[in-house]
Amino acid sequence: MFRKLFYLIIISLVIVSCNRTNDSEENIGEDIEIPDSIFDDKPLMISEEAMGDIIENISSPVEMAALLKQTGVPFSKKYLCDVKRIDQLNTNFKRALNLGILGSDLGYLNMYDKTGSVMNSMSSIKTLADELKIGQFFDFETIKRLAVNHENLDSLMYISVSSFNNMDTYLRETNRSDISSLIVVGTWIEGMYFATQVAKSVPNGKIVERIGEQKLILNDILLILKNYQSDKHFYDLVKDVEQIKESYKDVKITYTVGEPESKEINGMLVIVTNDESHVEISNEQLVNITNIIEKVRNKLINL
Amino acid sequence: MKRIIFYIILTLFLFNNNIYAQSDELVNVCALDIGNATYLKDFKVKLQQSSVKPAPSTKFSVLLNKGTIYQLNVCDAAGYEGKAIMKLYDHSKLLGSNQKSDGSLMKAFGFQCQKTGVYNISISFKNGKQGAAVTILSYMNVK
Repeated sequence: MFRKLFYLIIISLVIVSCNRTNDSEENIGEDIEIPDSIFDDKPLMISEEAMGDIIENISSPVEMAALLKQTGVPFSKKYLCDVKRIDQLNTNFKRALNLGILGSDLGYLNMYDKTGSVMNSMSSIKTLADELKIGQFFDFETIKRLAVNHENLDSLMYISVSSFNNMDTYLRETNRSDISSLIVVGTWIEGMYFATQVAKSVPNGKIVERIGEQKLILNDILLILKNYQSDKHFYDLVKDVEQIKESYKDVKITYTVGEPESKEINGMLVIVTNDESHVEISNEQLVNITNIIEKVRNKLINL
Repeated sequence: MKRIIFYIILTLFLFNNNIYAQSDELVNVCALDIGNATYLKDFKVKLQQSSVKPAPSTKFSVLLNKGTIYQLNVCDAAGYEGKAIMKLYDHSKLLGSNQKSDGSLMKAFGFQCQKTGVYNISISFKNGKQGAAVTILSYMNVK
């Protein structure tokens, strides 16, 4: 009797733990079909936990868009990815990369309050997310209401960003870090595309410095992609990112140490460390980085 | 007997769903506290009671960019005694905390980043009490 009870409790625990991230009626148990031979049994070079840390270390697309807006650069539709091709993306590799690219576009649109275009972008994001079986993380009805009524734009931004964050957490919790890493890389490339294109037409010290600082992230991006480079598509992507890394070879980042202080901003205690980073990047290096980013980004959106 | 088993399963199911629904709801509630700032990320923490000194903590790493003023808000989950202490580190160097020198806790503090790099956010609970909390990282919009 007790043995039966014990088994039942164990089974219940297993059922409950499997249910942990089930936020919708989607059949989560059904794995995404990955034809690209990504999921073999080879061990990861780095743990899922370390992977999560690295992914967290790639900054939000919203920050890049915010910087562009802060520097007074006007909105331009020409930087956005053309969403017409979305239906032709026939593998999860392509879908995940392009989902990241569209995520970055969404951050840019939200930052400039382009609510009309947000719905177009969202519709494509929904298509891709559904195909990757992660569409449950987007509350499209609420996003649509906020966008159409042009109401509460802070909420629109919050829902958009947190949906991407939740989706990313879910992918990593369900051992789909390969998809997560592609989304993150797509997001990063598109953010870099915005920044470099803007810097090409409006040279601005802060934007150029932010572009130069990305040197710090490139090794992390390569580290996560190399986990999966036994797959040909990942291998090609690693080669593309290595080209970008090569273009950063002579960019220098130096640091100075300063004394910390605190001050009050908007009624809040703010700590200022005064340790500072400085980027040295020549025009020639910037042009080279811009060209390579453009080439890689255009390749990814035309896969 | 069947009834007992049914209740065990039901309790486990509801308890489990409740934990995750609660933490997502707490993020939504906490996001209302960030005021004029723009939400970037959230970090969820749940720790058991501990008598170990210093109190156990959970660490998250995050990339912060030069020229941005970040805001860190913390919200404690209802139903737990623990009050969250969040600390911001640059490697092992403590930069700031929501705990004042008199031991009292603030709901938020800001950090003006002058050096792009990876920083660590550590969250523990005062006196090692059991607690659950959410920290929200946002950036301040300063005119």
